[in-house]
Amino acid sequence: MFKHFISELKETLICLEAGQVTLGYPFQPHAPEAGFRGLPVVDPLLCIGCGACASACPARLIDMTDDGDHRTVSFELARCTYCGSCRDVCPAEAVTMSMQFETATASTQDLRISMKLKLVRCVLCGDVVGTQRATDRVVRDLVAATGGTAETIGWLDLCLACKRKEAMATPALAIEVTR
Amino acid sequence: MSGGVLNWCFKKSIWVYHVNAGSCNGCDIEVLDVLTPYYDVERFGIRLVHTPRHADALLVAGPVTRQVRERLLRLYDAVPEPKLVIGVGSCAAGGGIWHDSYATCGGVGNVLPVNVYIPGCPPRPEAILYGVAQALGLVPKNVEAQEYAES
Repeated sequence: MFKHFISELKETLICLEAGQVTLGYPFQPHAPEAGFRGLPVVDPLLCIGCGACASACPARLIDMTDDGDHRTVSFELARCTYCGSCRDVCPAEAVTMSMQFETATASTQDLRISMKLKLVRCVLCGDVVGTQRATDRVVRDLVAATGGTAETIGWLDLCLACKRKEAMATPALAIEVTR
Repeated sequence: MSGGVLNWCFKKSIWVYHVNAGSCNGCDIEVLDVLTPYYDVERFGIRLVHTPRHADALLVAGPVTRQVRERLLRLYDAVPEPKLVIGVGSCAAGGGIWHDSYATCGGVGNVLPVNVYIPGCPPRPEAILYGVAQALGLVPKNVEAQEYAES
């Protein structure tokens, strides 16, 4: 009996020495350590709607739908695995991984992001060329690389198939084959 | 009526029955973490029980495979009213990376009415605590749907 009492007393002392170990969370904030990947945040002003993230996402939660003169980019973040692939491939750096982990919700609709971006359609056949922002970016990069202007670059409002046809029909672009 | 009665019943403590519905064990390990003294979910009166008949809440992890669907429905029926369903992990929330697989039901929401989803792959123990605290009405919801249209 006495022995038992002593051992319990010892245990009490050990517990007192350890002090409180339990976190104050959720009543006190507890920030995750650096490098933590939380809920992806998309800047709708930077997104060019290129679809790189949609093809990189392992959960295939990013959807690109073209309708009329708009492309709808939607993120179904409820099934996100927080891998960060979308951030890695984004050419516009529109996707960042936040520190947000308090994502509990009663409805998965709360974790949906939907963006409508303007589309450019081919002037000849009406097929999709890309979003306005992606086309602007191509112009910017080509102007920087070639020193020309948007007018001299040309064919910016043609889809891939029509560009190919145009190139075939342009004698100046024909490649001379010599033996 | 159910809202008021539910709130009154769940004010003090909820006993949880943990179901693995095709989960990869990642979420199960995080749930285990939440029960350790460091996170100590028992201070909210929450503890795991060994039979659904003693439980107030089902804690479901995984995308609900076809094999487990029948068992999950039987478990749900075995829990006495009123009951909560908590979906842990991205798989439970929307099917995760198996959302369109023939072998899964694509999330708990397609099988049972879910009260709280806790997305994450796996959700960190704090996220699970936050979800549980939200189910108990201690903390508010922190996420909101975003819409944007280029003008």
